[in-house]
Amino acid sequence: MTRPLLEVRELRTHFSIGRSGFMRRKSVLRAVDGVSFSIHEGEVLSLVGESGCGKSTVGRTLTHLETATTGSAVFDGRDILSLSPAEFRPLRRDIQMIFQDPFASLNPRLSIEQKLAEPLFIHRLVRDRSEARERIAATLELVGMDAESMSRFPHEFSGGQRQRIGIARVMILTPRLVIADEPVSALDVSIQAQVLNLLKRLQRDSGVSMLFISHDLGAVRHISDRIAVMYRGTLVETGEKRQIFETPRHAYTRRLLASIPRLEKRIA
Amino acid sequence: MSVPHSIALVFRGRALAAVGACWLLVVGIAAIGAPLLAPFDPLEFDPFVRLSDPGWPHLFGTDHFGRDSLSRAIYGARMAILIGSGSVLIALVVGGLTGMLSAYFVRLGHLLMRIVDVLMAFPALLLALVLMTLLERSVLNTIIVIGIVYATTTARIVFGMTLKLKRDVFVDAAICSGAGHASVLFRHILPNLLSPMLVQVSFIFAFAQLQAAALDFLGLGLPPEVPSWGNMLSEERIYVTRAPWLLIFPGALIILSVFSMNLVGDALRDNIDPRFKDDIAGV
Amino acid sequence: MALLDIRNLDLTIARGSELLPVVQGVSLAVEENETLGIVGESGCGKSLTALAVMGLLEGSAARIAGGSIHFQGRNLLALSPEERRRVMGDQMAMIFQEPMTSLNPVYRVGDQIKEAVLQHRSMSGRQAHDRALELLELVRIPDPARRIDSFPHQMSGGQRQRVMIAMALACDPKLLIADEPTTALDVTVQKEVLELVRSLQARTGMSIVLISHDLGVISETCDKVAVMYRGRIVEQASTSTLFSNMSHPYTLGLLGSIPATDHDVEWLDAIPGRVPTLDEAVPGCAFHPRCFAARGSCRTADPDAAAVSPAHIVRCHFPQGSSS
Repeated sequence: MTRPLLEVRELRTHFSIGRSGFMRRKSVLRAVDGVSFSIHEGEVLSLVGESGCGKSTVGRTLTHLETATTGSAVFDGRDILSLSPAEFRPLRRDIQMIFQDPFASLNPRLSIEQKLAEPLFIHRLVRDRSEARERIAATLELVGMDAESMSRFPHEFSGGQRQRIGIARVMILTPRLVIADEPVSALDVSIQAQVLNLLKRLQRDSGVSMLFISHDLGAVRHISDRIAVMYRGTLVETGEKRQIFETPRHAYTRRLLASIPRLEKRIA
Repeated sequence: MSVPHSIALVFRGRALAAVGACWLLVVGIAAIGAPLLAPFDPLEFDPFVRLSDPGWPHLFGTDHFGRDSLSRAIYGARMAILIGSGSVLIALVVGGLTGMLSAYFVRLGHLLMRIVDVLMAFPALLLALVLMTLLERSVLNTIIVIGIVYATTTARIVFGMTLKLKRDVFVDAAICSGAGHASVLFRHILPNLLSPMLVQVSFIFAFAQLQAAALDFLGLGLPPEVPSWGNMLSEERIYVTRAPWLLIFPGALIILSVFSMNLVGDALRDNIDPRFKDDIAGV
Repeated sequence: MALLDIRNLDLTIARGSELLPVVQGVSLAVEENETLGIVGESGCGKSLTALAVMGLLEGSAARIAGGSIHFQGRNLLALSPEERRRVMGDQMAMIFQEPMTSLNPVYRVGDQIKEAVLQHRSMSGRQAHDRALELLELVRIPDPARRIDSFPHQMSGGQRQRVMIAMALACDPKLLIADEPTTALDVTVQKEVLELVRSLQARTGMSIVLISHDLGVISETCDKVAVMYRGRIVEQASTSTLFSNMSHPYTLGLLGSIPATDHDVEWLDAIPGRVPTLDEAVPGCAFHPRCFAARGSCRTADPDAAAVSPAHIVRCHFPQGSSS
């Protein structure tokens, strides 16, 4: 088998809680406590677990939004966790993140064009504004939005449209790894399905690797190739999608699957 | 949203605030057009009409040097606007940068915010007095001192707001796009601070007036010959029984203007981003 | 006679000078010991309907524009605010989505339950304390004698929701309205809370109105279901009828939108488009711009509610399943 695109080994991210100060004892929250997994080119790995299990922190640590305590994450031959912020910046183009809340993840003061042009200029992917506009229009079309929407502002869009814009902001850089942190859980059921289909199609067409972080087992089954189940900061089980859903090994995975409310009868 | 539309939105259902805004407009016009509007030279002595009653041609009467009170009041509007805008500018730039950088760079913040805390331990007027005694009486120094006094509160408020904005997801999103510190601070955080700061501006503007008048009154503010409302009060206070109008007019002007600015500030505050409502409580 | 009988309820929201309809002609009935599920996406009017029943619309921008709400045969809309308060909390109670914000953080949970008890029953402090303990036991909070002195922040989300249920049950209500009670909870906790609610119902015989966006939760918990879209009930039937014979394209779309966990599907049958905002007027059937079955009359005429079979009501010109 070829070398994976991303290989995470014994990742630990601890937070000190409560301000350290006079007469105060520091206590440590072990949000991520020894997590190892790998993602191959073109593969979708899901990180599934309940709130507070540390799954989001894994994604935020891999994008340098949080600082890893120990461990390594080798991306394309380099350990990204040991890089300084300046050294990591050029790599941001390759490792992109989709956020949960489409209402909070778009700066209300910037138009869609400004928002989407920003990464293009930062990473010097375009020379001038007209080139940027061309690329923005093409990317907006890719996520099912009109090119005209680029002159508008976030408040003019619905939640589903905003999440499409958030996805466009990520895909415009043609990244190699997309970390999607609960990308559909803030959306209505019917919109969730649209966005899940969109993500799946974009992933297939571009061959990008994806770390899909979610608590929604249905969404996870729909989109992933492999699944890692996280519980209290550690991975309890990792396996192929079918294996996890059909022959779960760990007791927690079984409990999780048994908790899903069943629909009375499926319409074929 | 268009500017006239936003203005209409701020003042809808707030007749008093609208009246306040109109009064500020009048003060602004007086300040700009002072040389044309003032019937006399505000600095010219006329020993023959000392302490004359209000009437024609001296509508507000004259002071003990025989200077025309109305003309001095009109030029005083100029000083009011100058001191207000000057100190607002200093407070915003110095205080705003301090607060923003302190919230963004945690280590720097530990240092800068402790300095701000020390300065805030002094009552505003006392701090201004101490600083003024170290400096010469001049318009510029008065502006700098008042600006610094309000820079401390501005720094505190901007610090809190930046801490909140820093945690916003769109800031994370910008960092993930590869944005550097300067871009995050000035392109993503700063524009979101502007509308709550506009509210702050109106309050600083108002309190700067009171501060300046107090300094003038104590003889530590503007040089005595400069026509300002505070100086008018200070110079004529011994004639309060013989010529009360010399104190009533400038006093009323200060009260009206400060009151108007506060009303406008309140109206603005009620219309800003609800996230920051708690941060802005006036100075 | 039904315990709760809502007839042709209309709710409006004032937007500027206009009155926009948010709930139109909603009719629902809940029998004794029955669970009714209301399902729909955000903005469909399901929560506002519940607030109207509870008389809690004062806090929102919505007002009742027409219709009636009968509870135990009495028209609630004709009662004075004083009489209304007496019915609320005593005969009916409500639990909300956010178990964190619904509890006051500065009081111990025991004191909050006691207060709920004392508001409607005159008893001594000692008795109220015992009743609070009994209620905590009822909602299966482990070690209630110790937990009664806990503050809300010392409890997990699931435990806080149990405390909320305990408070709602303080006076043995006849009707419990639960507005997305498990949406903020993890699936494993959700399962426990739903089981708790079911067992409490079996024990007390109360009726439940369960509001949710999750068809799975509704399917597991409810006896009958009303599906709402844009302020109207588009389909209403018993749970078994609904899930075996879905007739409204929106209900089918909602079901197709849920990714299965027991088998693999290549693509989800998503409903295209988005829910129109309140001020967007849609001529004809409100769902037609997103509907796969929309034809001529859908664009011009708003369909009436019609029974496709006894006790299965659909508001659609071309109901699916039965005809094709």
